[in-house]
Amino acid sequence: MARLIKTEKEVEGRYEETWVVVEEDVLDQWPAGPLTVVGQAVERKDGLERARGEAPYTADLKLPGMLHAAVLRSPHARANVKRLDLEPARRSLGVRAVVGPGDVHVLTDEPRYPGQPVAAVAADTFRQAREAVKLIEVEWEELEPLLDPDEAVARGELVEEPRRFERGDLERGLAKADVVVEAEYRTQTLLHNCMETHQSICRWHGDRKLDVFISTQFIWGVRERLADQLGLDPDDVRVVCEFMGGGFGSKNGPGDYTYIGAELAKRTGRPVKCALTRREESLATGNRNATIQRLVAGAKADGTLTALGGEYVNAVGWSGFSPMTGGPMQYLYACDNVRVVEHGARLNAPPNAAFRAPGFVEGTFGLECLLDELAARLDLDPLELRRRNHLDADPEGRSYSSKNLMECYRLAEEHWARRDTVRARSEGSWQRGVGLASQVWFGGGGPPSYAWVRVGADGRAVVVTAMQDIGTGTRTAMAQIAAEELGLPLDRVEVALGDSARGPYASISAGSSTLPSMGPAVRSAAADAARQILELAAQRFDKEQRVLSLKDEHVVASDGGSWPLGSVCELLGDGQVLGKGARGPNPTGMRVLTFGVQVAEVAVDVETGEVRVERVAAIHDVGRIVNPLGARSQVEGGIVQAIGHTLSEERLLDPETGTVLTQTLDAYRMPTIADVPEIVAEFVDVPDQHLTNLGSKGLGEPPIIPTAAAIANAIRDATGADVRSLPVTREELLRALREARERVGAVPA
Amino acid sequence: MELSRPSTVDEAVAALGNGAVALAGGTELVPLLRDGLVRADRVVHLADAVPRGIDGTRIGAGTTLAELEVDPQIPSALREACRLAASPQLRSMGTIGGNLLQATRCWYWRLEFPCRLHGGDRCHAAEGVHREHAFFASDFCASAHPSDPAAALVALGGMLRTDRRELPVAELYRLPTEDDRSTTTLAPGELILELDVPAPEASVYLKAMDRRRWSFPIVGVAVARAADGVRIALAGAAPIPWAIASEADLDGATPLPGTAYKLDVARALVRRALAEV
Amino acid sequence: MGATLLETLRGELGLSGTKIACGEGHCGACTVLLDGVPVLSCITLVHTVGEREVTTIEGLREHPLVRSFVRADALQCGFCTPGQIVSAAALVGAVPEPSREEIRHHMAGNICRCGAYPRIEEAILTWRD
Repeated sequence: MARLIKTEKEVEGRYEETWVVVEEDVLDQWPAGPLTVVGQAVERKDGLERARGEAPYTADLKLPGMLHAAVLRSPHARANVKRLDLEPARRSLGVRAVVGPGDVHVLTDEPRYPGQPVAAVAADTFRQAREAVKLIEVEWEELEPLLDPDEAVARGELVEEPRRFERGDLERGLAKADVVVEAEYRTQTLLHNCMETHQSICRWHGDRKLDVFISTQFIWGVRERLADQLGLDPDDVRVVCEFMGGGFGSKNGPGDYTYIGAELAKRTGRPVKCALTRREESLATGNRNATIQRLVAGAKADGTLTALGGEYVNAVGWSGFSPMTGGPMQYLYACDNVRVVEHGARLNAPPNAAFRAPGFVEGTFGLECLLDELAARLDLDPLELRRRNHLDADPEGRSYSSKNLMECYRLAEEHWARRDTVRARSEGSWQRGVGLASQVWFGGGGPPSYAWVRVGADGRAVVVTAMQDIGTGTRTAMAQIAAEELGLPLDRVEVALGDSARGPYASISAGSSTLPSMGPAVRSAAADAARQILELAAQRFDKEQRVLSLKDEHVVASDGGSWPLGSVCELLGDGQVLGKGARGPNPTGMRVLTFGVQVAEVAVDVETGEVRVERVAAIHDVGRIVNPLGARSQVEGGIVQAIGHTLSEERLLDPETGTVLTQTLDAYRMPTIADVPEIVAEFVDVPDQHLTNLGSKGLGEPPIIPTAAAIANAIRDATGADVRSLPVTREELLRALREARERVGAVPA
Repeated sequence: MELSRPSTVDEAVAALGNGAVALAGGTELVPLLRDGLVRADRVVHLADAVPRGIDGTRIGAGTTLAELEVDPQIPSALREACRLAASPQLRSMGTIGGNLLQATRCWYWRLEFPCRLHGGDRCHAAEGVHREHAFFASDFCASAHPSDPAAALVALGGMLRTDRRELPVAELYRLPTEDDRSTTTLAPGELILELDVPAPEASVYLKAMDRRRWSFPIVGVAVARAADGVRIALAGAAPIPWAIASEADLDGATPLPGTAYKLDVARALVRRALAEV
Repeated sequence: MGATLLETLRGELGLSGTKIACGEGHCGACTVLLDGVPVLSCITLVHTVGEREVTTIEGLREHPLVRSFVRADALQCGFCTPGQIVSAAALVGAVPEPSREEIRHHMAGNICRCGAYPRIEEAILTWRD
């Protein structure tokens, strides 16, 4: 039955309490541990299509008559257009339409960040469109850009009001401390650099119906926002994304390029593809903002935290949002006196966008490095310090739906115990060490989300829902869940997704929410279909329905008897069994979070500043694991990305002009296969018994959160150097080593 | 744009000049053409004109880095420099001749800031972000030369034969000046045809990178020991491959604030390289 | 500038398995083989290809590497995967049993932003299983 309830919705740390229609989640959870299909390591359903180059990504789609768009972007960080002449572009070969400021709401003659769209062209070919853009004549009035985040805060240039969180009294907590550590940490701006650049194709049918093929993490969000902006009925906007080449948080909405493409398509009466180049991708599709973190921690001699304070500056950019960089400080440890202030600096720099655990990746680096500096001062084992400050209940008085962080710590022990052997392998200039860091994050998902399951006479099932698989393997997980419930082998279940016209509303694939939001809906739809099949079987075999169940492609009676599923399904003829399911509510009054710990081993060349990450062990608590193979991939991928964040990636701006200097992938250095350490992924594979019929939380984000701090702490363990700034370039490491030597007044062995 | 494919050196030389540029592996030229940093009406593809292959100490300029990195005839410093250069695909496309002539990775130059190398009157890197830039000879232009093989060849005392002269690899390069912003001594239309790399008694190339592979050098150090002594050359250190006589010469470096760390890295690598030969 | 090999493959020939991700020779998504040698089709002018044989992912669909990539879960979003497989095919063609070090050396020009590298290494190590 549908109910109207008030529930908390959380996306990437932002909570809102809202009315939602939810359906009762009447199913009992499956028993813990691996089942027949769920919990088994299985290959991706769409692996072959992707590997063979057959999967049609947005980048591969060509519609009849399709034109290509190119965008004129501001070369200046802050400027006004004094004169703009679009005529030369209009006269250029192959050009079908040109739009400028006033034609589309995202085009401006007062750009406030480099790369902000000013005008756009649609032409027969992409090259023609780019050539035409070059012909547009602009006279600029250049203005001085604001690029310094501290200055922006001082001047009150903020994207939103500063956020303040306080419990207890920080000053009193500090007064009670035996030891106080204080430090400033900095993290850099990072680019998502999805392999498939941001792009879409817009095609109108008349002037009221629009098809949008787009590389997106949120089909329904694109639909709603486009309909809203363009004044269309949502059902007249069809959004399609069957395969997409990476998002990491940057593809949650339509993007400027889709609004531009929609207008150009309208003017030309032709489909228009607007695909960004790699360089545009580096300018105008969002980023993980840089941060400055001024932190303080106080503790008793036994390690009990008495105070945690953080003043955070998020260098947000011209627009975007101020992430919860202070989140880990609020959520990770038991401490009576906490004060967090977060400022979102508005700069003449490209806007940020959510990037895989925004805020928490950055904030965990600061907090977990500070904890280790504290442990060193207290002469306490870092793992022990974390255990002593374990938070047993939410500080606001809510219980956790499940929390197995202590079990994570226990599983981490064997990795942590390697540190004597690791250190002993130090040789010459290569020093080795081990570090760890804890992780807290959201990842519980929530309603609404819906799925249908269709079973035909062939005894095969199709899960139908308008969700998207952004590469995390959720298509496969949904098939596993339906197969488990229907007693089918995995190859008898397909998943039809990726089209708002062909399935019900589905959750965003962001905030580690796809599996915990969609999984329970799929299970509930499969259970509905199973019930109907059993109804038929009860009539066909003259049994009471309550004694029947589905198992191994058979209808099984608990009082004896077993019939192939086909013998029921074949009766359907052209008929179909249609099951529907919905995501039930989140547990009332409970805090749903994910937890984990990672242990990193590094080798540091103290003469050249080179850091090699040799091993990372990751233990995460995300409830039930549906596909251990895919889960391991998520962990490995998160850690690889985090290694780039920690050691080699940084978006650089020219301090004078604000120009983005690292627009190409030779200069913006993501890890290659040669940079990858041994990675061990372990899970506390215990269903969250309060969370949905599935007990699974999301895993997209947790693995990327603690890695940087674990690596930095391992560097400290190896060398005594406190690295406080990301990335840990050779420059930063050599600086930290020099500082450490000056501090102890001697060269480390 | 017109593409020609001459089959002899003479035809190639005749085809060059007057808005024509020479194309070998294309890893540098094609992106520069696309970005408009090089403009040309005609492209002269050298594949059939310039020698390719290794014969004892002689290396055809059209030989790819991938071919050099695995050939046992090649001195180890050059082999290692090729092995650690660029990416596998770029190494299997890029030729040694083209590699020696590659332009700086300076982001200001690549993004067409009106800097000195582009004929302008200032070095934006010196005043801006320059952590990947020079720590020697950086006062006019702070760009850093990106070629690993070039440093190896300078240390190895390699010789070049062009269509009109022979010269040591070291003399292929010049520091840009107010009057001439070029970083090479190659005349317009002059083609590098062949290298001659004498076998050293020992040689080594050490490279510091931002990631383990597929990075331009933070610092590359080539050291070769021959009968007449030891030669050292640095990549990523100056606007051109930079020869130093000894470790002590590093004291004469003139780092920018952001490249001081490179000097520390260079010291360590030079010491290690010397110890290895 | 003349057409690139990539533009010809994806445009004229409709072979969309070869991907464009950077378009300037830095990421490896567009890798194809020319006479068995891995090159970047985005910075190869089509008119320089001459007589050489071009192998794209479409020509490698039955290669055992395709199966081993899926088996090892060596892909997430899959956008870089065709390029990875083309590079890997060149490697195992030359060295049928590559070591981890050889894999890391020869595959370093194929960027995977999802970070599937440990699985890619595994897939290449076990390609003949």
